[in-house]
Parts: sequence; structure tokens; C-alpha cells
Amino acid sequence: MPTIALQSVSKSYGVGPLAVDDLDLTIPDGSFTCLLGPSGCGKTTTLRMIAGLEHPTEGSITVGDRVLDSVAQGTFVPTERRGMGLVFQNYALWPHLTVRRNVEFGLRVQKVPAAERKARVDAALEMMQIDRAADRYPSQLSGGQQQRVSLARMLAVNPSVLLLDEPLSNLDATLRLEMRAELKRLHEETGHTIVFVTHDQLEAMTMATQVAVMKDGVLQQLAPPMDVYHRPANTFVAAFVGSPPMNLAACDSSLGELAQRYLALTQTSALDAVATIGVRPEAVRLVEPGHLGSEKEWVFEARVRAVLPTGAAWTVSVTVGSTDLYLVTTDEVGATSGDVLRCAVKRKALHLFDAEGNRLDLGTDRELERNEAVQWIS
Amino acid sequence: MAITDARPSTAPPPDPLPRRTRRWRYRLSVALHEPTLLIGIVLTVILLYLVIAPLVAVLSDAARVQFGDQPKTGQQAGELTSYYLWRVFRSQVSSIVFWHPLLNTLIVAVGVTALALLLGGLSAFLLTRTDIAGRKWLSTALVVPYMLPSWTFALAWLALFKNERSGGQVGILEARGISTPNWLAYGAVPIIICLGMHYFPFVLLLFGNALRRLDSQLEDSARILGARRSTVLGRITLPLMLPSLSSSTLLVFGRILGTFGTPYILGLPVDFNLLSTSLFASVRNHEPGITAVIATVIVVIGVAVVVADARLLREQRRFVTVGGKGAMNRIIELGRWRWVAGGVALSIFVFSVAVPVLTLALSTVTTTPGVFSADNFTLKYWLAKSLPDAPGFPHGLLRGTELLDAAWNSLRIVGLAALICGLVGLLIGYVVVRSDGSRVATTLRQVSFLPYLVPGIAFAAAFLSLFAVRRGPVPALYGSITLLVIVLAVTHLPYASRSGISAMTQLGREPEEAAQITGAGWLTRVRTVVIPIQRGSLVTGIVLPFISGIKELSIVIMLTTTGTQLLTTLSINLIDFAYDQMANAVVLVIALVAFLATYLTQRLTRTSLASGLGG
Repeated sequence: MPTIALQSVSKSYGVGPLAVDDLDLTIPDGSFTCLLGPSGCGKTTTLRMIAGLEHPTEGSITVGDRVLDSVAQGTFVPTERRGMGLVFQNYALWPHLTVRRNVEFGLRVQKVPAAERKARVDAALEMMQIDRAADRYPSQLSGGQQQRVSLARMLAVNPSVLLLDEPLSNLDATLRLEMRAELKRLHEETGHTIVFVTHDQLEAMTMATQVAVMKDGVLQQLAPPMDVYHRPANTFVAAFVGSPPMNLAACDSSLGELAQRYLALTQTSALDAVATIGVRPEAVRLVEPGHLGSEKEWVFEARVRAVLPTGAAWTVSVTVGSTDLYLVTTDEVGATSGDVLRCAVKRKALHLFDAEGNRLDLGTDRELERNEAVQWIS
Repeated sequence: MAITDARPSTAPPPDPLPRRTRRWRYRLSVALHEPTLLIGIVLTVILLYLVIAPLVAVLSDAARVQFGDQPKTGQQAGELTSYYLWRVFRSQVSSIVFWHPLLNTLIVAVGVTALALLLGGLSAFLLTRTDIAGRKWLSTALVVPYMLPSWTFALAWLALFKNERSGGQVGILEARGISTPNWLAYGAVPIIICLGMHYFPFVLLLFGNALRRLDSQLEDSARILGARRSTVLGRITLPLMLPSLSSSTLLVFGRILGTFGTPYILGLPVDFNLLSTSLFASVRNHEPGITAVIATVIVVIGVAVVVADARLLREQRRFVTVGGKGAMNRIIELGRWRWVAGGVALSIFVFSVAVPVLTLALSTVTTTPGVFSADNFTLKYWLAKSLPDAPGFPHGLLRGTELLDAAWNSLRIVGLAALICGLVGLLIGYVVVRSDGSRVATTLRQVSFLPYLVPGIAFAAAFLSLFAVRRGPVPALYGSITLLVIVLAVTHLPYASRSGISAMTQLGREPEEAAQITGAGWLTRVRTVVIPIQRGSLVTGIVLPFISGIKELSIVIMLTTTGTQLLTTLSINLIDFAYDQMANAVVLVIALVAFLATYLTQRLTRTSLASGLGG
């Protein structure tokens, strides 16, 4: 199962902006790649182009050395010859066929002999644990069961690549959790290359080996999930990944000014380029009133607007001057609205972005880390 | 087809072709694998020809000297002329040919619309919002008038009220010694009543559906705020119902424009012409130029009505509140009055179905109308070997081959047209959904809707001018079965394609794509996925045009010849000969066929008639 490569792929629907804009994307063999982004960002279009259901306006799509689409060469391989599997958001089971016939369909098309067909269908049904519903019609199944049938239907033909288009978005919360585990297990057991489209960053974080964040048809960042989380490439990715999202403060806001004053103390170079400062809610710690800041820790005071217990943690909405800020803590918060809290943020937990919103990796970051390491050893 | 080209992607060869050409080449190779686009283009071209070409032919006929009119116009045949415009609009005959028919059409249209709104609106309200006695039965029974051929009522009216003025048998009243004045027997009054009886179910269905969908929480909110029942009705319910009211008004109005049978039967004896009958007269008199001008006027009015409807709907869309999931229907309890209401609705049924059908049935088995003594009953009009007093049709209806021939013609012509209609409708739906958003899809959707703008009778006139002579590779089709099939198919296409589009939209493209991804080619996909899933809507898409086509008169009346007689035209011919009993018998046969087909479809596909308003 070779690598899928999209080169300079653009897709235009004639009117409006490009649905996909000059996309370069490599999906390594055996990877679980998530296309992540808000609705209308071009992620589904990208997936459908890989499947051959949409056709790029520019660029090429290849699997290994086999060219599937190439506008330059005039090459096009129709969907039915690509040997891929696709699971649709609404499952797209055929209502006039039983579960068994649904799963069997692709094998019949490929004229697989009856005995082998039965064995492969049984295996697929068993793997998705729906063998008991084999003789029912799709309308008699629950949403979760339909989902499993549609996965089984895809697996039965043993495709080289599995494409999944928001397959979990129609399921309830419990089922979604279960199916996430199921998909991850499937990936680990079969070693298939999986391309998964979702707008749910939690799904991307939990399952993917690499995440491609998209916005308005443009790829924002392609990286392993933890990198996307800890080192977002720009303010869009920073705000999109994480719940509640990263707090972003412009430098001329009340919080931004405080932060800049602190950063000046740390002798961070090229501070002038910083336009936005970001901090994840869970990186903000609540500290004792007398707690003092340091070079490695920024301390400020904030006024409580509302305390929102979520069971496992507390989300606190606070204001610093005129800036709103969220913080998340697992320690019980006794404060009520109007109280003043003292907050602390580690220097290395601050994300800096320039005027275009792109991440700034200042040299001092690494210095700071090294210093810290030295301190830790000594 | 082998997998094309498999060059390594790492080194794309330098390409000399400009970007545009490259894109087209790529698109072409996509199109070669997906016939949807190709089908769409072919369909669009054919439909454009069948819809636009006749209209162009009509316009050209209206503005060019027709063969044989050289002396009248003083010009050569084929030259541009304003003679026909002058003759229709400004000459001495124009009041007979055009202005009176126009005025009469407006009078009849207003009258029929008012009557249909009254009967339809009342029964819609009673059936959807009250606990009227016999509600379920009535909601089926009150749609039956729409299944009868529209001129059934006219024939029944004659059987009751006909006087000495026109030839043949007099009506039951006259036969019993009660003389009926001309204004009651013929002309505007009976035409309005008869057409009103036929078209009120149309209002009932449209308006009833809107009422049913109205979320009564909207009314409850007003009541909670302290509004009285009458205030709620006037300030909330009625305004919300306005779109469906105005829409059904305009649609009924548009139908009247193209209706032929009733005004022909009831208007002719007193020279009461509508635009449709005037158009027919000019066709009979072989005046293609005048025919073309009148047809153009009818088309213009028809288009204006539909455009007005679309504009009104768009304007009113801002307060179209479709209830959706939360819709609740509050039933008004009538108490003792529910029986009275039931009686009212039942009497509507009696007058619009029972009385006409029974009158017709009786008339076919009695020699002298209205006399119910044993020696007056006869089956000779159905069965007699010879009818000496009827030289044009010298034997009972069931003898000889006339009825069978006409029935066979009706079945095969209408059947074939319906089959084409259903298949093309689904195919259009397929193309529109599969290439959603593309220019071809949009064009095709609009073109298939075009015939809806043109009243049937004007369309028939247009086809007549197009296919009367050979044009290029297209032979003169006049008098052929092909022409009838094409006209019937094209005029019913808007309904078929609308239901095809909605069926395919509901299905979406995913089921087919799912088959595609597992390796199924186009034919396999259509055969194993699309058609089996759409079987029900395909059957409906064929049967509904069939039902409506089998009782179609105004479209076919100008295009049939002695060799292509249909049931409907046979009936009108018999009326021309004043063989009323036999004409009535033919109409009963048509009604029976239409009714049986409707009943069978409803049983087989469990669809309601409301979805098939393709009259």
C-alpha cells in the first residue's frame, strides 16, 4: 500500500473562491491521517478527489507511481478502478438490500466466487460485530449498527486505502467514543492507510497519526496531533484545536500589554514582531495571593466573571482589564463572580504569533528550555 | 478501458499545451468515464428543440404570409406581414375571433376561480381543521371530480338542461316539459359551474396541504397573548395561508386558459367562444396565420400567470412557515355541527360526482331522457347491431371496431408517452442530482419546466405549425402517432421531471457513489442500485402522466386525424354528430379507465394523489 500524494491540487466550482487552493499533501503508507477543519474548509472535497468522485481543476493525485488524476497529463482513473474504500457520513447503505447483500455487493461486482465471497462477508461482519443482523434491512438497524455495516461493506473488498467522511458525526456521544476506539483498533490490526475527515478536533487528536488542518481550502498545518496541539502553526490552528480554545490576546489589549511587559523581562529577542500572544486555558494555574512571578513564570491578577464546573474540572471565565480569558483547572474553585484570583503561566506555555498570525519561534525559547534543563540537573 | 498512463509522478513531463487546453483535455477524459454529463447535454438539446422550436415556428407563422393568403395580403407567401396581427386585433372580425373570446375567457376564468376557491377552500378547512363526520372517506371522495375528464360535467349538464336550440336529444328537464332558457342551458353560467366542479379539488389539495402543514403552535401563541379566535383567523392563519391561496388561484386561472372540452360543448350552441375554442375554430378553418397569433396570445398570458405566481411566492416566502417536526394540528370540535358539516361536504360530492355520473349513465340506457318507464330503457346504444337513426355511427358502442380502435390508440399512444415521460423524468432527476450545480444541470432543470408555462392547447397549435411540413431532416409528422406521443410526453414532462428530481434529490448521490467505490461501472450502478431503489417513483412517474393523458383533450384535439382517433376525440366527434348517448358512454369508459388506473396505483405504490397534481 503505497503513499498517496496530492501535488498542487486546486478545485474550483466555477463560482466563489477555490474550494481547495494549491494543496500539497502526502499521506504515508499505513498512516491514519485526519483532515481537520470547520465546515466549508475543503476537507471533504479533498477526500472526494482522492476517491475520484470530484475532479481537481489543477494538479495531480498519485498513489505510489500510479497517476490517478493529472490535469497536466489529461489522466483520469475513474472511482471504480481506484480500489479504495469510502464510508459516507450518512452511511449510504442501499435500502433495498439486506445487510449481507450490502456487504457482498462489491465482491459480486468483482465476480468473486461464491464460497470465497461468503467467507469474506462473514469475516467482515464478524470483525464489525454485526453478524447477527446479517439478514435484516438497513432501516431495521440503529445508527451505530448502520455505521458498522458500512464499515464492513468497505472492508469486505479489502481496499488499499480507507477513506472516511465524518463517519461518527451522526452518532450519539457514547457510541462515538466506542467507534473511535473501534477505528483505532481497526487501524492497528489491519495496518490500512486511513484518511479521515472530521470537524471534531477531539476525534483528530485521539485517533490520528498525523493531522492536516485546513481553512478556506488552504492547508494550515500538517503534523502529528500533539505537535498541532503544542506548537500550532498559526492563530487559526491555535484557536481551532483545543476545548475550550486557546486564549488569544492582541498585544494592544489589557492582557497583551501585561504579557509584553513580562516578556521584556525575559529578554526574548525580536519582541517587536509579536502581535498576538496565546495561552491554553489549562496552562493557566491558580496560585496563592502572595505568589510571586519569576523569569520563567508570569503572574497576573484576574477578576472572576463566572465559574463553570464540568464535573471533572472547573472552567473559569475571568477578565483582565478589558480582556476575557478562560482557564481550566482540576482543583476545586471556591471563588464566585467578582472575586480576584492570582494566575500564573509558565514562560514556555506562552505562544507567540506575528501580525500575519504565524507562529514565532524565538531563539530564546530554546535557550529557556536549556536553562531549565540545566537547573533541573543541578 | 485500461488504466491510462502510469508515469511516475516525481517527474511530470514539461507540457507545451496552454492551461485551458490541458483542463479541457482532462475534463474530456473524466466525461468519457462518466456518461452523466453526456446524457445531460443530449437531453437538453432534444428538449430545447421540442420546446423552443414549436414556439419559434408559431411566432414565424404569425408574422409571415401563409400559403394561400397571397390575394388577401397582396404579398408573396413567406414574406413578413402584419396582416394576421391586423386581422386578429383590429379588423371587423377581430371582435368575433379575439376580443369577445378574450373577454369571455376572463369572465369564465374569474368565475371558475371564485367557485373553485369557495368549494375547495371550504372543504379544505373542514377536512383538515375540524372533526367533520366522515372525514377520512370525504378526503378521498372529494378528489374524485378531478379524476373525471373535465368535460364529463358539461355532458351531464346537457343531459339535464339541454333545450331545443341545438340538435339531437333534449335534456331531462325539457323532456319532462320544463323549458330551460338558453342562459341556463349554454354559455357562461353552465361553463363556470361545470369547470368549478372540476377544478375545486385542485384548490382542496393545495390549500389543504398548506393548512395541514401550518404549525398550530403559531395560532396557540396568539391565543395565549389574548387574541380571540376570529382575530387569530384573520391576523395569523389567513396571512400565513396567502401563498397557497394565491398560488392555487393563479394555477386554476392558468388551467382555464387551455381548457377546451367544456367551452366547446356548452359554448358552441350560443356562439360563446373562449380563446381556446376560437383557436380551435381557426385551426378547423385552415387559417394558420390567425391560429399562430391567437396561440401566441395564449402563451403570453400563460407565461404571465406562471411568472406572477413565481413572483408572489418569492415575495411571500419570507413568511412561509413550514412547521416541520414540531408541527401540531389543532382540530376544532364542531359538536353537533359535525354532522351538518359532513352533510355540506357530502352534498358537494353528490353534485360534483354522483349526479353527473349517474345522469350520464342513465342517459346511455334510456331512449327518451328522463322517462323512467320500463319500455324506455334500452341497451341499444351499447349493444345494438344497427342504429338506423345514426348514420354516422350505425351500431351500438360495443359493436364494431370504433371504440376498441380508439381505446387501443389511447392505450398505446398515452402509454408510450407516459413511459417516455417517466423514464426521461427520472433521467433528468439523475442528471440534475449527479451533476448538481453544473451548468448542464441547471439548464436541463429549467428546460424541462418550460412546457409548464405554455397552456396545452397553444402548445398543440405550435406543434401543428412546426410539424405540418417537412423541416430539414425532420419529416412532416402531422397525422402520425409519433407526433401525439411527443406532444403528450413533452407537455407532461414538467410534472414527471419534477417528481424525478425530487425522488433523486431525496435519494442523494451517495448510494450510487457507494456502489462506484466498490468497483461497479455505470450500467451496473444504474441497474442494481438506482432503478431498484427508485422503482416506486418510476411507477408513479409513468402512471400519473398516463392517467392525466388518457383524459387529455385540449392537447390532442387538433392533432388527431381519422387514423389516430383517441377515446377523448371520439367522444367529441360523437357530440359533433349529436349522438349524445354514445358520447356520454365513451366518457364513462374514459372515467372508468382513469379511475381504475388511479386506484391501482394508489394500492400498489401507496402514493397519494396529492403528489400527482399533473391534470
